[in-house]
Amino acid sequence: MLRLLVPILLLMALVGVSVLSDSPSPRADLVFINSSDVNTLDPQRMSWMHDLRTARLLYEGLVRNDVLSEGFDIAPAVAASWSISPDARTYTFNLRPEARWSNGEPLTAEDFRYSWRRAMLPDLVSDYVNMFMLIRGAQEFYDWRLAELDAFAEGSFDSPAARQQAAYELWEETQAQFDAMVGMHAPDPHTLVIELERPVPYFLDICAFAVFDPVYEPLVAQYERPDPQTARLIRKPGWTRGGVLVSNGPFVLTRWRMKRDMRMEKNPHYWDRDSIAIDTIDIPSINDPNAGVLAYQTGAVDWIADVTAPYRGEMVAQKLEYLAEHAQEVERLRAQGLDQFSIDRMLPPDPRAHTHAVSSFGTYFYNFNCKPYLPDGQPNPFADARVRRAFAMCIDKKAVADQVRRLGEPTATTLIPPGSIGGYASPNGLPCISDAIDDAQRQSLIQQAKALLSEADYPQDFVVTLSFNKDAGHDLIAQTIAKSWQKHLGIQTRLDQKEIKIFREDLKDKRYMTARAGWFGDYGDPTTFLNINYSTDGNNDRAYNNPVYDSLLDRASVELDPVRRMEMLSEAERILIEEDLPLVPIFHYATIYMFDPHRITGISTHPRTKQNAFLIDVLGDGKGPEQPRTMHPSPSTTPHPQGARP
Amino acid sequence: MITLILRRLLALPIILLVVYTITLTLAWAVPGSPLENPEKRPKPEVIEQMNKQYNLDSFPRFYFSYLRSATGYQYARDWISGELAREHEMAQSLGLPQPSRPIFDFGPSLKYDDKSVNEIVADSLPVSVTLGGSAILIALLIGIASGVIGAVKPNSVADLSTLGVAMVGISLPSFVTGTVLLLVFSIWLGWFPVAQWGTLRSIALPAFALSLPFAAYIARLTRMGMIEALGADYIRTARAKGNPERVVLLKHALKNAFLPVLSFLGPATAMAMTGSFVIERVFTVPGMGEHFISAVQNNDYFLIIGVVLVFSTMLIVFNLIVDILYRWIDPRIA
Repeated sequence: MLRLLVPILLLMALVGVSVLSDSPSPRADLVFINSSDVNTLDPQRMSWMHDLRTARLLYEGLVRNDVLSEGFDIAPAVAASWSISPDARTYTFNLRPEARWSNGEPLTAEDFRYSWRRAMLPDLVSDYVNMFMLIRGAQEFYDWRLAELDAFAEGSFDSPAARQQAAYELWEETQAQFDAMVGMHAPDPHTLVIELERPVPYFLDICAFAVFDPVYEPLVAQYERPDPQTARLIRKPGWTRGGVLVSNGPFVLTRWRMKRDMRMEKNPHYWDRDSIAIDTIDIPSINDPNAGVLAYQTGAVDWIADVTAPYRGEMVAQKLEYLAEHAQEVERLRAQGLDQFSIDRMLPPDPRAHTHAVSSFGTYFYNFNCKPYLPDGQPNPFADARVRRAFAMCIDKKAVADQVRRLGEPTATTLIPPGSIGGYASPNGLPCISDAIDDAQRQSLIQQAKALLSEADYPQDFVVTLSFNKDAGHDLIAQTIAKSWQKHLGIQTRLDQKEIKIFREDLKDKRYMTARAGWFGDYGDPTTFLNINYSTDGNNDRAYNNPVYDSLLDRASVELDPVRRMEMLSEAERILIEEDLPLVPIFHYATIYMFDPHRITGISTHPRTKQNAFLIDVLGDGKGPEQPRTMHPSPSTTPHPQGARP
Repeated sequence: MITLILRRLLALPIILLVVYTITLTLAWAVPGSPLENPEKRPKPEVIEQMNKQYNLDSFPRFYFSYLRSATGYQYARDWISGELAREHEMAQSLGLPQPSRPIFDFGPSLKYDDKSVNEIVADSLPVSVTLGGSAILIALLIGIASGVIGAVKPNSVADLSTLGVAMVGISLPSFVTGTVLLLVFSIWLGWFPVAQWGTLRSIALPAFALSLPFAAYIARLTRMGMIEALGADYIRTARAKGNPERVVLLKHALKNAFLPVLSFLGPATAMAMTGSFVIERVFTVPGMGEHFISAVQNNDYFLIIGVVLVFSTMLIVFNLIVDILYRWIDPRIA
């Protein structure tokens, strides 16, 4: 009989050991759910929004965006001040001497040269390597290194040792070449001089982008060595582990368990540590959208940065109901110029008030394939801009936003969310049937569209295919659009639902007629949206090619006068969304947050949707100034046209 | 016994090699590239560089380079050639700590850039072992108890109701049972935390949910075995000797009835311990199960192979342990 118990005892011992080896820690001051698991904490390798959001807690760049200012102003960070040469090509940053790494070592201009050099190396395959090419000589350096690596791969060596020797020598030479070729210099430890290829009016905004944050060379260099076989720098994972990572931001990483959680503690060496109102942050990895909301409701989580639960439409509707109950008060507070979270905080507490829809720096749109022929060889009617215009006019965008999405998102006529970029006046865009004020106007729009189609000799029996990937409700949006086209233009449609990977491949190879798409901006300049329609851009899924559009972008990139430059870009967007329509903007995204406005403050409402979570003050926890942190007007600059739309 | 263990252990690498070959071939055939990002597309030269670095452009090169590092061959070669010593010297001359280098290197994760597959498995395997082990313990407790009850009074109310519950346990998908348990015990009653891991309280609910199908199966196996045993001659002998019923049931009958349960226990434990995707999703358990699905979706070849190899190894090892126990408990088998 005893023998029977042996397997059970073995099991119990195994479970016991693994339970005991795991030690849960007390709840952090702030617990928030990032939209997804962090892919990397290496700033130069980042491209995901949730990675960048986490990076801003751990690292700090030369400057940062004041996310709580209405103009999204540039604020000093590691650089206490800077000056720009009259030709706008040379930036001199004065680094603050008190800036330190989390191990107490001083932070110097050399750290930036090291980190930016990493990003410029083809070996590192940074997704944002293009942004670094704005710096003088960076492109030459990149090309030089690439050519050397190719030559090395083809070269023959007497022995493996000689090959390895040559690999190390090439690496030495690469560092010397960087010093000689690239316009980044450090005349003294606290001065960084950067020369640009051409004037870049948004360069400071780019410097606030986390990909430009510094990494700690003595640590990182251990994990990056030239491969003796290929001479390429091989990255080994490991330096971003909790307790190992050395960073320079408001927080340090103390633990990172894959798919489980990430814990951060206030960085005792951070120069601005006194302004930080929380000591610890936990970022649990909760990938099930429903579990995230449940965890919030039980009080285990303070903030959800992106609610994706299927019932979030109902949550937003309840919030609107709550606001309607307090309509008078809301009007009064809005008239005072308060931001949406401050208004919520002035209203009586209610669980419905914890849902927040904030406008995002992104747009949902439909692509048209602009190639003259479709993949099956027949002529493509969408190669004609008149056909694209007609189709764009006959989409019921309001039905998509109000009945399908139900998140209070505004319908879009522009690619760039209006009012999101200071100093940029958005063009009007092409009206669609749901923009019509009455039925007469609506009928006239439909007649115009039909006239355009017959002008373009649109083939009567042609079947239009709408492609989309099968998740996230894209099917319902496609149905709504297809119904609009059937009803108003008498077009036959076919819905083509695909698995995401196939869908992406098809977009890349232009194997579609019309397809869903979306884009989020990276930095505060119209080019972050407009560049994807440049004829040779890697993200030009539409095969759109208009030399006038390209030349406007080219000319804007060398234009010194910021006002004229913005006018050129605005004209480029006008061509895109009023004349050529390689894409139809459908709506501008909203992001759904969940937090208690009476407890959590310091979250920005700016449409750039960038959060600096270290600014958060949890009211009532006895830490920090316990004063609500809210949006404030920009101090100096002239107010920019907010939403310059009719 | 010794030959059995030796034979199994010798077969292990061959089985793993076959599993590796099949898995890689299948993973390679899945469309898409691990370097793609859903919204933004890396530049072609970027993809080319990554392909070169990880040998993603050539199946045979990937196949053999992975074999070299995963089997420890690469480590041994670098050790013999003095490369390791050189690396060590370099770090020492720079006054830096040595970057850790595992002997069996299962490669980097292509999706989670900062983590190696070794690290990911090391983080998630203990969690899955805890969850799976607890689930099997609960399953044994529930399964054997209800199996014995059913067998003592076949076709009674108690028997039919345990059978009914067992049927429900097998047929209901775990995302239903999991969600219902979560809703009732965590949200309505507030007895257990939501989306946490580490304490006994947080383990209880997911372990119970995971145990249900196993418990149902064990209950049926036990009941069947017990009914058969209770009709056998040696039980009549045991009763004739005047043994109390408790002794007859637990000592004589259960011992035989347990054998089929024991052979089920091998694969069941391996299955429960390598994680359940659904239970892990519903209860936010940071275990290995999720990697089986997400690694395939992400074309994360290194991670796919890593988790499949871990699963295969566990399956083989647990089966071996069960076989050894079997012979030890029931000497007739040898």
